[in-house]
Amino acid sequence: MKQAHCIYQNDDHRWLAIARDASKPGYLIDTNEYVVMDGDQALLCDPGGIEIFPAVFSALSAECDPTTLAGIFASHQDPDIISSLALWLEFKPDLKCYTSWLWQSFLPHFGGSESTFVPIPDPGMTIRLGSLELQAIPAHYLHSSGNHHLYDPKAKILFSGDVGAALLPPDQGGLYVEDFTRHIRHAEGFHKRWMGSDRAKRDWCERVSRLDIDMMVPQHGAIYQGADVQRFINWFAALEVGVLRG
Amino acid sequence: MNAPEKLKTPSRSASELTCIVRVNEEIKSIVATAFRINLMALNAIFLAKRAGNAALGFGVLSNELRRFAQDLTRHMASLRDMTSGSVGSVTGVVQQQRNSAILLQAIRLSGDGVPGVREARKRGAQRLAEQHGRLRALDQRLRAAVEETQQLVELGGVLARSAKIEAAYGGGFSPALMQVSTDFAEVIAQIKRSLEVLGKERLVKD
Repeated sequence: MKQAHCIYQNDDHRWLAIARDASKPGYLIDTNEYVVMDGDQALLCDPGGIEIFPAVFSALSAECDPTTLAGIFASHQDPDIISSLALWLEFKPDLKCYTSWLWQSFLPHFGGSESTFVPIPDPGMTIRLGSLELQAIPAHYLHSSGNHHLYDPKAKILFSGDVGAALLPPDQGGLYVEDFTRHIRHAEGFHKRWMGSDRAKRDWCERVSRLDIDMMVPQHGAIYQGADVQRFINWFAALEVGVLRG
Repeated sequence: MNAPEKLKTPSRSASELTCIVRVNEEIKSIVATAFRINLMALNAIFLAKRAGNAALGFGVLSNELRRFAQDLTRHMASLRDMTSGSVGSVTGVVQQQRNSAILLQAIRLSGDGVPGVREARKRGAQRLAEQHGRLRALDQRLRAAVEETQQLVELGGVLARSAKIEAAYGGGFSPALMQVSTDFAEVIAQIKRSLEVLGKERLVKD
């Protein structure tokens, strides 16, 4: 059963990770959802698919008032990212969904109306939440052609969507990366196959290297913290991507 | 966690979708038959012309049967428009039922004390009732349209019977005209059977 873990707190400013669900059906890829909270407002990052909505809703409700949800941040358009949109709107019809402009007319197939979507331009944008100024960081072609990550400069947390994702075996169910070398083996195949552009990868590595990051939180697998963040960026920069094997 | 339980309610709507498929199939079969009547009537008009004065009445009736086939095609087109609309309404009901059921499951997992859930359930129930209402109204319109078409087909039956009588006065052409009028009667009987099936279908199960 999914549970919300507080991974950052500074007064009312909190980050929750709803991560690593060992009891979900094996045919579904495991996903992490994150909630950014400040004061009486919350933003849900990559809320996940329809099948896991009850578990995510329940985990979120255990830690915060779900009526404070002001918006959803969808890093890209995949079903494991945002196919539960209609269900969140069922609960809160006035939710805003921040997503790349590229998907503005595609995501309504999952739910929502014209007023639901706030298009994020290619260079990114600032998303205000309470007193926070969250930054949508471009990550196009990693792996989706319209893709953004979310950086919280105050908490120094980067939500990195599929970048940093690892398909971990059940015996590695920890919330954080404990042994980078052991962990990254489970990320290698995923990044080679899913990240389609070497140029986009280099751009992203340069861009995020300039950010002050304490924690990098991906949509699949464990969370990178401290020196493991830069270790990951260096590893990714050197990795050959866009290949089937090799 | 387990995937959301398989829900009973959508299967009811799935049977409503199956009903729409059956209705569409009957409509298609009637449209094909109407096209056949149109061609048969054209042939009958030529035959009556060849028969000359002896088949004047038969010719008039063949013209009327041709008009009947065209009216029937128009009726069936409007029935088809209605069923297309009902696919949208049934799909809306299926989606709403599924969303409400998953939300209910989420609420059960979270406990009753979660703020906002009562309002969310109320909104969902209201939307579902509205969609059911729309579907019910469509069902009534469809039934009324089928009844109207049944009356039209009754007229077609009368025309076919009159053509049979007129065929008896067709002189040397009488056997050929009789055969044509018998064919008319058979296809119209076939349409009647299809309309009876359509009349029994219900988009909304009470």
